[in-house]
Amino acid sequence: MRRFSRRRFAGLLAGAAAALLALSACSAPAPTHPGLTSWGQVTAAAKGQTVRLWMYGGDEQGNAYVDKTLIPAAAKVGVTLQRVPVADTKDALNRVLTEIQAGTKDGSVDLVWVNGDNFGTGKQAGAWLCGWTSLLPNMSLTNPTDPLLTDDFGTPVQGCEAPWSKAQFTIAYNAATVTDPPHTLAGLLDWAQQHPGRFTYPAPPDFTGSAFTREVLDSVSGGYKNVPLRFDQKAFGRLTPALYGRLKALAPSLWRKGQTYPKTSTELNALYAGGQVDFTMTYGPAELTKLVADGTYPAATKVLTLQEGSLGNASFLAIPATSGHQAGAMVVANLALSPQQQAAKADPRTWGQFTVLDTARLDTAERDLFARLPQSPVVPDFNVLSKNANPELAAAWVPALDDAWRRLVLAGQ
Amino acid sequence: MAAPAVLVATFVVGGGMATSLAQSLGLFPLVGPPSLTVAAYAAQASELPAGIGLSLAIAAASTLVACLVGFTAALVIVQGRWCGKLVAALGTLTIPVPHIIGAASMSLLLADSGLLARLFNTGGGWPELVGGPWWIAVVAEYGWKESAFVALVVTGTLATRAVSYDETAALLGAGRLRRLRHVLIPLSMPALAVCATIVFVYSLGSYEVAWLLGRAYPEPLPVMALQLFNSATLTARPEAAAVAMVTTTLSFGAVAAAFAYLRRSTLWR
Repeated sequence: MRRFSRRRFAGLLAGAAAALLALSACSAPAPTHPGLTSWGQVTAAAKGQTVRLWMYGGDEQGNAYVDKTLIPAAAKVGVTLQRVPVADTKDALNRVLTEIQAGTKDGSVDLVWVNGDNFGTGKQAGAWLCGWTSLLPNMSLTNPTDPLLTDDFGTPVQGCEAPWSKAQFTIAYNAATVTDPPHTLAGLLDWAQQHPGRFTYPAPPDFTGSAFTREVLDSVSGGYKNVPLRFDQKAFGRLTPALYGRLKALAPSLWRKGQTYPKTSTELNALYAGGQVDFTMTYGPAELTKLVADGTYPAATKVLTLQEGSLGNASFLAIPATSGHQAGAMVVANLALSPQQQAAKADPRTWGQFTVLDTARLDTAERDLFARLPQSPVVPDFNVLSKNANPELAAAWVPALDDAWRRLVLAGQ
Repeated sequence: MAAPAVLVATFVVGGGMATSLAQSLGLFPLVGPPSLTVAAYAAQASELPAGIGLSLAIAAASTLVACLVGFTAALVIVQGRWCGKLVAALGTLTIPVPHIIGAASMSLLLADSGLLARLFNTGGGWPELVGGPWWIAVVAEYGWKESAFVALVVTGTLATRAVSYDETAALLGAGRLRRLRHVLIPLSMPALAVCATIVFVYSLGSYEVAWLLGRAYPEPLPVMALQLFNSATLTARPEAAAVAMVTTTLSFGAVAAAFAYLRRSTLWR
């Protein structure tokens, strides 16, 4: 379906080939200033606007939170919010890039749930509106020096996206079959070699599989402190032979002898749910509680806590430069940052996404909202989970690591 | 009468291909000035041979299965007893099922932890049909869906053209096998050839079944193109267009070969 509409869109583009050639000059990063200078102006302009939020649609709890909590709250402040599910955030970015190519000024994407290389690539191509988050009143509730919020996978945020949630890379296992759970990532790889066929990871460039290879890179390099966050070819050449050597040595012990890999984290989750492997992994541990409760995952599912910690990141809401409803999108981003919405989103019964707010900056009543949240029986508290959190590598590392993985480990060249 | 439809289709397909061609040659870059170059093709040169081979093999195997099963089904339908009606009904029901639903169903049915594996309780001895080295689930899905299409088209030809010849041959004393060999197969050949071309080109160019049921490497051309198109790297879009152009060229080659065959056939009018 998607491909068809793209083709048709491409056809329309070609029909206006001459115009397009002229417009291709616009594909260079465009200056992006909102033209709105105060919050009063923003709220006035936002009244009655319809904001389309494009977000990954594979997380049912996330969908339910937006539909049942965020959309009604947005309606109360006079903004109609619509959720547009996408199979991958890259689809939303691609749509924006195509709109930039076509010179659209009133595009179909007003807000995107984004982070990492999608954000970095979009910023490089001038896809995002920048310098607007300082207008949001609720930004004062976040810590301005929090490294997770000032840099997104090494790309400076610079007001081009507003923080929404924090996440921690989490490995889960079935305690009924894994009686001797490892305590380090190196130990996990050893466990996999001692139990052939019971472990695998999604093939990069899948988001989760890609994060797993970065965890292995930190591990084989002797800790994240030895891996420079900023990408440079020298460090890549020095550090990655150990990474791919380890993963190649591991491959014969993986599911299907490492001759193939799950293509997506969804496939890995299905293997775990079907009892074909004993471990699964996710960058959104919030989903575990519900999956165990409804019986999709084994009842004995536990979170593996690693001594060296795991990767942590934040995800954001970005406004495309092509959006025609930027004021409305800002109002929604501010609303999503409010203590009430952040607390509702952090409730494991709703979504369980960790807050980006700095609790020290909240008043007692607001802090109480978070203190009253129930504990999940599967997922430990964020403070436990994010202990020794490892910073994410710069976005430029990601495609380089993914490409080399496909070449060296998957294709075995 | 068909002119407006043809015009719209030509505009959409021709326009899409022209854009892809221009993009693959570096004329619509996302960043930087446009320049005429074959860099996008060169960047994927090492991956293309495996992709082309795999795509052609999947398309050929799917076409063969679809034609064999479809033609057999058409024979059963034409003889018109109750089982013919049953096969016709099954075929008609299969046609509107979208391929992506078919692929998801195949996955539920054939996967290692799928319905059949659980039913036979093989205890881990289930063959690697989904995501296996022989792409069996992919060929099975195309074969199943497209055989219904082949069956209905060939049934139409047999019912309108072949029945009278078939009855004449029977009156003259030809047995079942002789009628099949000298009447039914030759008369259905043009329709079969057209169907085979459509099935071949379709399974060569569609990505969703191979993406859902295939393995991570090597990738058939449409999956490779989609992967590149969705890549966060800005230079990958021309490469995706280049892979799509290679797929298009192969499809045109298949159509040209089919037309060359049909022109020589005396039955084609």
